[in-house]
Amino acid sequence: MQILTELRGPRVAAAFACGGLLALAGALMQTLFRNPLAEPYLLGVSGGAGLLALLGMAAGLAWPWISLLAFAGSLLALGLAAALGGRMLARDHTPLLLAGVMLAAGFGALIALVLSVAPAERLPGMLFFLMGDLAWTGNAPLLLAALGLAIAAALALSRRLDVLQLSPLKAASLGVAVAPTRWTLFGLAGACTSLVVAQAGSIGFVGLMVPHALRKLGFTGHRVLLPAAALAGGSLLVLADALARTVIEPRELPVGVLTALLGVPMMLWLLRRP
Amino acid sequence: MSLTTQQLSLRTGTRALVDTLDLALEPGEVLGILGANGAGKSTLLTVLAGLARPAQGQVLLDGQSLADLPPLTRAQHIGLLPQGDEGGFFGSVADFVALGHFPFSGPVPDLAPHLAAWELTDLANRPLDTLSGGERQRARLAQLAVQQPRIALLDEPLTHLDPAHQARLLAWARSEADAGRTVVLTLHDPNWAACHCDRLLFLHGDGRWQLGTPAGLLTPDSLEALYGPGTAALWRQGGRGQTV
Repeated sequence: MQILTELRGPRVAAAFACGGLLALAGALMQTLFRNPLAEPYLLGVSGGAGLLALLGMAAGLAWPWISLLAFAGSLLALGLAAALGGRMLARDHTPLLLAGVMLAAGFGALIALVLSVAPAERLPGMLFFLMGDLAWTGNAPLLLAALGLAIAAALALSRRLDVLQLSPLKAASLGVAVAPTRWTLFGLAGACTSLVVAQAGSIGFVGLMVPHALRKLGFTGHRVLLPAAALAGGSLLVLADALARTVIEPRELPVGVLTALLGVPMMLWLLRRP
Repeated sequence: MSLTTQQLSLRTGTRALVDTLDLALEPGEVLGILGANGAGKSTLLTVLAGLARPAQGQVLLDGQSLADLPPLTRAQHIGLLPQGDEGGFFGSVADFVALGHFPFSGPVPDLAPHLAAWELTDLANRPLDTLSGGERQRARLAQLAVQQPRIALLDEPLTHLDPAHQARLLAWARSEADAGRTVVLTLHDPNWAACHCDRLLFLHGDGRWQLGTPAGLLTPDSLEALYGPGTAALWRQGGRGQTV
């Protein structure tokens, strides 16, 4: 019983919240960029978080500090993307997209640099962080509260988000304040992603696949899509984390490996549907 | 109850597109805007819709500056059909058409008549991105019809439409005008402009503009002045040549 309430319960709750936040962020990013291939890490969030977290690990810092560094790194990436590419957001999202992709590439190079000079005994921890790992996640109540708040905020935006799928000019002609709404989306998706990355590293694929798959299954209106994405993303990550803990017991796999292994076949199957 | 411009000037970079335009759109009229590519037709529509600021002058809706109107209030009165597709929309045709109701509160009205008017009834449940170019243009027109703006601004609405649906668009524009609303459209066919517009606005792309009736404005000389030498002959051969 103690194992259930003190170990397993919080971890399952954290996995659910992380998966939900990532899928929600992915859905918001896909609407922000009017592109079904957009995902939460598009703007360099995982790169910024990974770089600072790895620097912390290389310096021998322990977990709460690594988490704070990762959070700071993701905010740094978002800030840089907004400052470098955000000027035209009312009309054109391409500069923001390009700035984010460039930042992600730059952070990727710096991460490779840190990995190549880091002490060998610290490499496994670094790799687990980069692939996403729920073993350290200690703050399930915070994550669940954040998920609840994020769903509520996203639902409040949902009608405007339906319109925001149209061209910026058409959306504006229907009365949507395009730039403020897009910045709100950017901030909300960024906050969800940063929170998860700081708690669990860069868990991949959930944020891309879940909203994309739900759209393919016919969940196209945001009032339904957003809560459905949170629910499905959370469930997928709970399942992936259960497998990550058990398939090669007593060792654990990084959960990011499992999300991709589960997600890729599901996605390919969906793509083949008429 | 009308949209008016006062001393309106539009620029792109340093080049003047439209110089000090005074235009009063009346309820019940169809105004056609003609001009060469890049003459400022789309820019003018965007400014008339209150979605871009003019270099100088202002646009007034019932005497109130468009710049001072909240976006939703503006969208309850003025609708715009921009060029270009809606590539990011994942939902069905019916979902797409229903977005025309966004500026208004309350439940979405019955879409069936609008879908039927644009022959979209059988396509209503299809994903928008599976439609052909012309079908998608009809969906965009149906969306505008749901918005039912007092002032409808249409940028090359004939694009992609087959002749039957061009005729349908014409009938729609006339019925809107007969109901006391205003329709402004950009187009390239002087015959169409001659037959179906109450007034025309020529944009020369260098600041000069001309406003008048089709009978007064559409002459071979004025068309060549607008589009370049040799262009009037294109339309003189094209059927309804009595006006051109």
